[in-house]
Amino acid sequence: MPGVTTQSAPVAGKSPQLVVSPLPRAHRGWRVFVFYSAAVLATGVVSMLFADLLWRTGWSASRTILLVLFVILFLLIAIGGMHGLVGFILRVFGDHRRITQTDYRAQSIAETSTAIVFPIHNENITRVYEGLRATYESLKSTGQLEHFDFFILSDSTDLDKWVEEERRWYELIRELDALGRVYYRRRLDNEGRKSGNVRDFLNTWGRRYRYFLVCDADSVMRGETLVDLVKLMEAHPTVGLIQTVPALVNAESLFGRIQQFSNRFYAPLFIAGLNYWALNLGNYWGHNAIIRTEPFMQFCDLPQLPGRKPFGGQILSHDFVEAALLSRADWEVWFAYDLEGSYEEAPPGMIENSQRERRWCQGNLQHGLVLFAKGLRGVNRLHLVLGICGYLAGPLWLAFLLTFNWIHWYQKYTGLSNITVHAFTPYLNLSGTAHAFLIFIICMVALFLPKALALIDLAFDRERRRAFGGLARTTAGVVGETIFSTLHAPLLMLWHTRFVLTNLLGTGVSWSQQKRGPDGTTWLFAIQRHWGHTLIGLAWGGFMWELNPYLFWWFTPLFTGMVLSIPLSVWTSRRSLGARARKAGLFLTPEETKPPAELVALRSQMRIHEITADTTPRRPHAGLAEAVLDPYVNAIHVSLLREKRLNPVYAEQLDKLGVGREEVRVLGEKLLAEGPVSLTAAEQLLIMTDARAMVWLHQQSWLRPGETLAPWWRAAIQEYSRRD
Amino acid sequence: MTGLNALSDVSGRLAGRPLEEWNAAYAKVENYFHAMRIRNKALLGQLVLRVLERSMKRAPAEPNHSATQIAAEEMDRIVTEWFAAVLQEPPTNADQMLSTRGRLALLLADMPGQWQDQFLRPPPWPEEFVQAMRDAYLQAGPNFQLSKMTARPFDLGPITTLTNLGRIPYLKMALTWALFVLLLVAIFYFTH
Repeated sequence: MPGVTTQSAPVAGKSPQLVVSPLPRAHRGWRVFVFYSAAVLATGVVSMLFADLLWRTGWSASRTILLVLFVILFLLIAIGGMHGLVGFILRVFGDHRRITQTDYRAQSIAETSTAIVFPIHNENITRVYEGLRATYESLKSTGQLEHFDFFILSDSTDLDKWVEEERRWYELIRELDALGRVYYRRRLDNEGRKSGNVRDFLNTWGRRYRYFLVCDADSVMRGETLVDLVKLMEAHPTVGLIQTVPALVNAESLFGRIQQFSNRFYAPLFIAGLNYWALNLGNYWGHNAIIRTEPFMQFCDLPQLPGRKPFGGQILSHDFVEAALLSRADWEVWFAYDLEGSYEEAPPGMIENSQRERRWCQGNLQHGLVLFAKGLRGVNRLHLVLGICGYLAGPLWLAFLLTFNWIHWYQKYTGLSNITVHAFTPYLNLSGTAHAFLIFIICMVALFLPKALALIDLAFDRERRRAFGGLARTTAGVVGETIFSTLHAPLLMLWHTRFVLTNLLGTGVSWSQQKRGPDGTTWLFAIQRHWGHTLIGLAWGGFMWELNPYLFWWFTPLFTGMVLSIPLSVWTSRRSLGARARKAGLFLTPEETKPPAELVALRSQMRIHEITADTTPRRPHAGLAEAVLDPYVNAIHVSLLREKRLNPVYAEQLDKLGVGREEVRVLGEKLLAEGPVSLTAAEQLLIMTDARAMVWLHQQSWLRPGETLAPWWRAAIQEYSRRD
Repeated sequence: MTGLNALSDVSGRLAGRPLEEWNAAYAKVENYFHAMRIRNKALLGQLVLRVLERSMKRAPAEPNHSATQIAAEEMDRIVTEWFAAVLQEPPTNADQMLSTRGRLALLLADMPGQWQDQFLRPPPWPEEFVQAMRDAYLQAGPNFQLSKMTARPFDLGPITTLTNLGRIPYLKMALTWALFVLLLVAIFYFTH
């Protein structure tokens, strides 16, 4: 049984070095071997058939390339299929190697302290805080609230958002009576992005808490689940991290609901399969996971990678690497995949989804370098490789299709005959067409096997069947989801290819802000984003028709997705269509058919905000006006700034920024006389970071005669005097 | 009101200033108290008049200052003095710390919701209100427990050398040329 020991006695101001016994390897090694060997075996057999098919029409260099691409791509499909298959078997026969299998519920958490942290960066504040409120209320109902603290860790750079975060934080703690339980901290710089934000929290307060649980801006957690996670950690002292599997919830658009349905319906199978081979070397997905603070602080500070971007520098997708670092230090990392009550939200449309994919792509490609780090566990390297392949698959598919087209074009325009010769398939007695069709069918089976298994799994589980709205509706949902993913896949292929190429070239992709109408993506924005896809689809389709009309029909799913990308993007982003699908019983999820209390609370609060929200557009620099003019918001803002001085690290940063210098007062004078437009964003930020300047501005803006103030101030004061 | 009447003269001016000037001063003070969430109109009017009364006493001696300016200063002084009395702190404070603390205390003690009638009132105040004001402290975080995480660099072995290749001058240009040559080779190979 592995255990935890300390290498040295605690020294004042320094934590003892934690060491755990090495993890048992043999059992997991066998599982990895069986799992991946099965995928390799299937790939080997199908690749032989494919090579034979290519051989029958005459070997060439391009056919070698095609075969290599086929082997890689089929292996990825086979690995996916194996996850589904093994997950299905485990669900039927029971998985006895999961962390929740142990008897942990009787564990006491009386001596524990856990911080629930919400790192945010220019988010929709209402949604973040309501998610926090739902989690808080749910936790309160368990009677264990006293063992938890909540932290809003802001990295917001938008001044309006900053002020709104502070004001709403105060409103939240007043409404929840949570002063001293829900905290707010904004960093002075954004060094290290999200991982830097969490690290800053750990450096400031980490040692107060035995555990910390990272939430995303759209996370919601059930109170019982939080308590269960702490109990699990208490029951397993060698576990460093437990990752829950967040259910996608609250989607309203058709796209969001399809994603939500896929996540809820297929994930249990896939994650059970993942847990089969990963066991205690699981992974971390960046949020909705509980972490043991001490080992994380000792082993998981991320180093800079050597070299230049896109591979060098700061590690962007930190989560996989942090899990690998914990495992390297012999701490266990588990998936608690059967713990319910962990939620997040999906992007509402295809374009938002691709924007997220773009960020993840960059981070995952960077893992290509981490792969070579010495000391990492083989299983962690597998996690990294699978993450990278998720994005490389796009360009590889494109290369496969282009090579395939090239072979046909070459065949046609060189006038070479297409006479098939015999290979080893005579033993199977297959014609050339039947041979190709057999390979196609095998590929389809490998692709769709997990979907079929998920349906079979549902058919034998009455409770789950009811939660998804019945077998017939779920089957219709699976068909609908399959049609949509078939159309969506070519677009993902093009997007991923672009992301991979631009990342490798180090150029990046700069996209303007998403323009959404009240019901979803606007037509104009969809045209801006998808015109290229449509053109490629039309050109490619025309080329295939010209090349071979018979082949054209086999490629129609590919062209259709591209040609219809604009309407597909617009329509699937529609909330109205999502509602109609829901009314028809399509894509239902357990959280829709029987919403849990925490989500009901969240939705009703969001609805109240929607109804009562002030829809008048906010004037430019409204946050600055509020922080200066509102006597209470100014007092909150200033007191939070003053508190920063107590932390020597922040105090140093404040001095470095130039806070407290005479120049800030000069900028303040300019701000009063000429308004915010006279200052740069950095100057405005500097003023708002200077407590003394903010107090002075509050006093001066109310004391000075109107005629000495910029018209912008006069208008803002007028607005304040009329506010209820 | 008697105080104000005493300051008016036969020309219809107040404390030597035209009525319009006091009107503007009234609006200024009212706006600030409104921003302080004083919503009771009777109370609001009374508070504004109190400030104006003190301003009018000052006005004859300061002909170079507008009524609005004097009223704003008086308002600031009255509020700060009151904060000093309630919070038992000296009113002299160069960086307006007292004002900030006072406003925060008003908010945390829920003056706008529960204690509007006590705002700017002379003592004695209800014990509960005084206690709420004096105890008010906005805790944004628990006590610091500072530490420093230290990154352990990755040993990437020979890969580290490869990553340094990016520092070779004109590497991108050389790579582009290499790709071009590869393309030519590929075209030749596939078409022959």
